[in-house]
Amino acid sequence: MRSIRSYTRILLLVCAMALVLPAAAYAKSPYTGYIYNSQDDDKPALNGYLYGDSFDGYDMTSGSFKAPEDLFVTPDDTLYVVDSGNNRVVHMDPDTGAVFTIYGDKEGKGALNGPKGIFVAKDNSVYVADTGNKRIVVFKPEGAFDREYGLPQSELIGTDFNYSPAKLIVDKRGYMFVSNEGSTLGLMQIRPDGSFAGFYGANHVPFSMTRVIVKLIASKEQRDQLASEKPPEFSNLFQDNEGFIYTTSLGIRFNQVKRLSAVGVDTLNSGTHRYGDYYMKSVDGEFEHETIVDVSVSKDGFITALDQTNGELYQYDKLGNLLFIFGGRGNQNGLFKTATSVAETSDGAIYVADRERSRIDRFYPTPFADKVHEASILYVDGKYNDAMKPWQEVLQMDSTYDMAYTAIGKAYYRQHKYKEAMTYFKLGLNRGGYSDAMFEYRKVYIKAHFGTIMTIVIICFILLQVLLRYRRKRKIAKKRSEFLGTVKGGGVSGSH
Amino acid sequence: MEAIKLVRQSLFHPFDFFYDIQFEKRAKLINALAIMALACVARIVSLMLSGFAFRTREAVDVSIPIEILWVLIPWVTWAISNWAVSTIIDGEGKFKDILISSSYVYLPYILLIIPVSLLSNLLTLKEISIYGGIYYFMYGWMAVMLFLQVMIIHDFEFGKTVGIILLSILGMIIMWLIIVMIYGLVNQAIVFVINIMKEIRYRS
Repeated sequence: MRSIRSYTRILLLVCAMALVLPAAAYAKSPYTGYIYNSQDDDKPALNGYLYGDSFDGYDMTSGSFKAPEDLFVTPDDTLYVVDSGNNRVVHMDPDTGAVFTIYGDKEGKGALNGPKGIFVAKDNSVYVADTGNKRIVVFKPEGAFDREYGLPQSELIGTDFNYSPAKLIVDKRGYMFVSNEGSTLGLMQIRPDGSFAGFYGANHVPFSMTRVIVKLIASKEQRDQLASEKPPEFSNLFQDNEGFIYTTSLGIRFNQVKRLSAVGVDTLNSGTHRYGDYYMKSVDGEFEHETIVDVSVSKDGFITALDQTNGELYQYDKLGNLLFIFGGRGNQNGLFKTATSVAETSDGAIYVADRERSRIDRFYPTPFADKVHEASILYVDGKYNDAMKPWQEVLQMDSTYDMAYTAIGKAYYRQHKYKEAMTYFKLGLNRGGYSDAMFEYRKVYIKAHFGTIMTIVIICFILLQVLLRYRRKRKIAKKRSEFLGTVKGGGVSGSH
Repeated sequence: MEAIKLVRQSLFHPFDFFYDIQFEKRAKLINALAIMALACVARIVSLMLSGFAFRTREAVDVSIPIEILWVLIPWVTWAISNWAVSTIIDGEGKFKDILISSSYVYLPYILLIIPVSLLSNLLTLKEISIYGGIYYFMYGWMAVMLFLQVMIIHDFEFGKTVGIILLSILGMIIMWLIIVMIYGLVNQAIVFVINIMKEIRYRS
């Protein structure tokens, strides 16, 4: 009797516990996680980011969005949405959905026409690239029109320049850096007084063998007919909290994301680094071309780039190592139709604006991503030993995450444990690291076993000498016997 | 012992060797096949033995049948192409002689590739020049043997030999292109027939 009662009690307890435990929210992600390993092969990986929710403005005081083009997150984690189809900018709290201010008047100087870019300065004045009106508008924080900047006058710009400001940032001095749609000359630098300060960080025409060959073969008329080669155009720019300017470029396959120094030199990529998808799918026999339209950099330096063509987001660490790929094109939640902008709040949530669907999707990092971030922050700062433990935990979650093996290998290398380093570099398919570790390991090994190695070498040497001497002797003996044979034969014939 | 003697002569006295091979009925197909089998084995073993730092492919990427084809196809197509070219331009070699003697060109490869792979386990990428040097030496040796083989078998002078070799290589490339083309066409034809059969099955 007693035992039955205690069983029921346990059963009840278990049931109660099941109620208390939070039910694990389970939703199948519409995209499967993958990553490019060190051999540039796409390999399955755990998802770093999962779709959380979306907001489209319907239940907000602003009313619904229409074709949002750009997002901006302030240091205090409020969100500015460039609601291009409604010709306005909405300042909102992404967590509560509360709308603070709406910029863009119905008429007058503050009326916007298809704005495409936004930047909010330290003093909360709002710079809007009013693309349709070919100007940059500055609003006061409370929403009133402040001033505007048209096309600056300068000899450098030329007369047939098509001014169409799309994206912009403002640096600490108040200088505006504007990416002009369709312009290949670089970012326009405009002073606070509206004068032109020059072009900045222009891309270069990439070298192309086909072009050289075509130029060699083609006649002058043919050459004139060829489209002139223009350097890639900037599609977007982003300023991180240290003041570095990140740019994205269109029409190139390498170094689409750059971090420009004060003089406009790329400090992110040494040599060529490929961003985005390595194997774009082909449609009607032609390979699609990636369109990196936006980039966002978190306070820890994680770079998230958005490719509009396949709707995928790529997150890199400060050094440009690929960490996660997520998103895609489609109709389900978590996929996009035409993604236009990406932004990140300080809690790690990533916001993506979708022009065609007129809504903003929010993605949250998974526990796996949190672990990778924790490890990566230590790793890129060179704290390999501290990073080892989180990397090992990363491997417990996803044992095919190549970067973790390389990182642990580097930690072992630094601890002078070269044999372990070799093992991990091998697992991470890192040949350079493996070779360096082996170089050290070989030194240590030879030092430790010097006696044995020398003995073996000496014995081999002596054996070789003995063998050579023996062969020489045999040869001489053979020759002598042949010689004697001929002499004998000669002697016999001579005696007759 | 006989085999070792043959190998030694072909490697170190190729002049006499390629000369003798035509007259003294020393050209045995079985020898050539044995050499090619060894070359295949050497290639596969070397792929497995080479050090991690020097490995260009992972073990999973290595397909043994394809590696064997990589050894055999150049040999067979070279023999056919060289025979075809040299018969037009009055070479003296018979097809059998060409086929068998050109298999001996693989001997330096068989001899060196496995030691090089073993050595690569002890080398780091800093000493890649040693590794590359041995490879160059090996291929150089093979090239010299190939050259002498063509020159002696067909009894050509120097300049003519160079020309014949270039023409033979061209012939080889043409042969490969034709093979690939035929493969593609036959493949399409087979797929076409299969599709028709599927269609009929669906409709019936």
